[in-house]
Amino acid sequence: MTPTPTPIPGRIFQLNQERADIVREVVAREYARKAASEGSLELAINDTAYNEIARLESSRKNPALEKWRELYRTLGKKPLAEKQAIVKRLLEEAALDIVGNFDPRVYDFATRIVPYGLSYILRPQHRGPNLTSRLAERVQATGHTETLRRLAEKGTVILVPTHSSNLDSVVIGYALFELGLPPFTYGAGKNLFTNFLLSFFMHNLGAYKVDRRLTYTLYKDVLKAYSTVLLERGYHSLFFPGGGRSRSNAVESKLKLGLVGTGLAAYINNLKAGKPNPEVYIVPATLNYNLVLEAETLIDDQLAKVGKSRYIIEDDESAQARRIWDFVRQMDKLDTSMVIQFGEPLDPFGNQVDEHGVSRDMRGRPLDLRKYVEVDGVPEHRAQRDAEYTRELGAAIVRSYRQNTVVLTTPLVAFALFELAKWHHPDLDLFQLLRLPDDTALPLRTVYEAVDRLRAKLQEIADRGDILLGQDVLRMSTEALVDKALKIFGMYHKRPLAVRVDDAVRLVDLKVLLYYHNRLTGYGLESALASTEVQV
Amino acid sequence: MTHGVSVIGGGSWGTIVAHLIAENGHPVKLYMRDADQASELTATRRNRRYLPEFELNGRILATASLEEAARDARTLILMVPSHSLRPVARELGDHLDGSHVLIHGVKGIEPGTFKRMSQVLREETPCRKIGVLSGPNLAKEVAAGHPSSSVIASAFQEVIDAGTQLLKCKTFRVYGNDDVVGTELGGSLKNIMAIAAGLAHGLGFGDNTKALLLTRGLAEMTRLGTHHGAQPQTFAGLSGIGDLMATCFSPLSRNFQVGYRLAKGEALEAITSDLNQVAEGVRTTGTVAEHARHERIYMPITTGVYRVLFEGATPKEALKGLLDVGRNPNEQDAPRRDISIL
Repeated sequence: MTPTPTPIPGRIFQLNQERADIVREVVAREYARKAASEGSLELAINDTAYNEIARLESSRKNPALEKWRELYRTLGKKPLAEKQAIVKRLLEEAALDIVGNFDPRVYDFATRIVPYGLSYILRPQHRGPNLTSRLAERVQATGHTETLRRLAEKGTVILVPTHSSNLDSVVIGYALFELGLPPFTYGAGKNLFTNFLLSFFMHNLGAYKVDRRLTYTLYKDVLKAYSTVLLERGYHSLFFPGGGRSRSNAVESKLKLGLVGTGLAAYINNLKAGKPNPEVYIVPATLNYNLVLEAETLIDDQLAKVGKSRYIIEDDESAQARRIWDFVRQMDKLDTSMVIQFGEPLDPFGNQVDEHGVSRDMRGRPLDLRKYVEVDGVPEHRAQRDAEYTRELGAAIVRSYRQNTVVLTTPLVAFALFELAKWHHPDLDLFQLLRLPDDTALPLRTVYEAVDRLRAKLQEIADRGDILLGQDVLRMSTEALVDKALKIFGMYHKRPLAVRVDDAVRLVDLKVLLYYHNRLTGYGLESALASTEVQV
Repeated sequence: MTHGVSVIGGGSWGTIVAHLIAENGHPVKLYMRDADQASELTATRRNRRYLPEFELNGRILATASLEEAARDARTLILMVPSHSLRPVARELGDHLDGSHVLIHGVKGIEPGTFKRMSQVLREETPCRKIGVLSGPNLAKEVAAGHPSSSVIASAFQEVIDAGTQLLKCKTFRVYGNDDVVGTELGGSLKNIMAIAAGLAHGLGFGDNTKALLLTRGLAEMTRLGTHHGAQPQTFAGLSGIGDLMATCFSPLSRNFQVGYRLAKGEALEAITSDLNQVAEGVRTTGTVAEHARHERIYMPITTGVYRVLFEGATPKEALKGLLDVGRNPNEQDAPRRDISIL
């Protein structure tokens, strides 16, 4: 990263002054919608009670359970005024549970100590003035960074990165700081707030709480309203639209668009209010790691196909101080640990936005966005239309993820090794393959040849603009690349994933190799190996 | 809806669509490439080239300027041949913005890219509110006031509403759905089956053969459609089996004519230059057969028609070949189940 540019002031520094006002606005808006008729009031209460009963039934002695059951039974007989009061109370409770907090003193403190702290961990023997630059070497922020800065001054930015690890938000927060951008507000899983230290920083750095156990509509509506209000007020925001860390490590291809759609809602509200800077920009970014802290747990979860029931994982590596310590310490041995690639910005309709903040159609014509949402010349919300615009935005984000994926050393070599293992055992299915004894060995020569072919194919894909190649993949010899990958594979995980034994590579942990391999699926790379004689 | 409406393309179906809209009380502009024909149509209320015997509603104003056609229009209905859609849309796009509704009735697929017409419109214009009009609509029957029906498919409900509002009348009913892919592919692929039906008819084969071609043709269309994300049930609707039946049973259908005359021994060039109108099925057969080969989608009827059109096979060889080699090469010896579409 280049020296820190002039910081851009952020609205977030006013969060605490505006906090009460924001809660009031969120509640008032949602109440106006729900109080439109007695029927919609009843529906809101019923849906909340029904979902809360279903959730709490597993924990038998919960006093709240009986309260909800009682409400569920007696709702029909309650007078209108009581229903109104209940909805108001539910909205307030939800809003107060979600709302974030920002303490500039904590921010000031964090921006000083986080780079220092991480650098200290990274290389304790090198204490000195260039500590932060050592961290900067580890985290490379590339792509449309200048445009991102410019847009953050012009309108409101929503950053939508891929999601691999619980370290993502720390790394992004650091990268934004280095780029001279103010901190972005973001929704963090409520479970993450249980960690005392993490909780302290998140509580005071603008993060708001998302309780993924709550499934009732009223809660989700408040969450969306909160996000919409923040965006309208110019708070730059961060969403992980993948809906959780990628379990398989494949780049996200299906997104949860609920929060992403609040960008369009805010834009329309800004137009209606006649604001001078109504624009909302969506900036996709990919986070590309050579090593992922939670790789083992995530792939286990993927393979067990219990992704849903274990949607919230509380006991993974990111909750173990020892593993984090190991991870960060090992990262120091790499010259590049990770790359954040900022993609080309989009508007809430999925059009590309140029460096001046102007949306363009696919022929490059400048667009008047207001036209997309006008009804008889006046900007209006239309649920069906806006959902379709958001779906198209989602498709554009997914395309951006694929094109901005940066091929690093470990996914490339893992891809070669895992595909070769498949070739080696053509009649085994995935699960049989993963149970292979750890003495499967591939001749080194074959591995080199496979990596060579993959690089040629990747170069073709990169020339079309459909993927990016990392520095190592661009510059290093295949032999050095494989060497480096094997070194990284042996660094941090419980077992080395693959090791070199004389003139062969022994595959030790195919499961975690599969995890790293998956980053490069969907590009048709298999064909580069299929047509060759790289079989062993 | 009192917004302006324009129809782009003055072929027989485009002219009839403009007429239907005008009959509903809306002034409508009709874009025609040829300026002389445009002024003649406005003056005489007749489209001498395509529908000489039919008197058009006086609310139609023909123009040869795309800019003029786009001016004041909120809804534009594009009715040009598939190979003209991209250049026309590109020029038109300079005069449009995100508020315009575009509905096309173009039955074709772009060669080389295998893009559907709505994708072409999306690429060439700033518009998003895009839909497709498709169904069993032989222009002359609609013109004669025979009860007919069509489908408008779009991801945007307001496109379906706008199109329905403009077109529906006592003799023309409009349905809506959100499966743009299935509706577009149904309308395009059925032209291949119509050529096959014409071939069979020309060879003197009877109804058994035609029923075979229709039924298995539908399976083939559905197979390609679902490969591209279409919903299979769309092919059971007006834009699928409906359009397929009308085209395959009607001697009015251009594509059927192509097949019929090929079977009678005429050369393809002679037939197409003679038809005065575009038979989209010829182009579509080439595009689809190559695509199916590349994607390994089993389409024996399309392959048979392709062999007749482009590889010099005789119609008899090709149709008989359907029965001999009409088995999915991916399967071993077990016969395919008739109801299987995949």
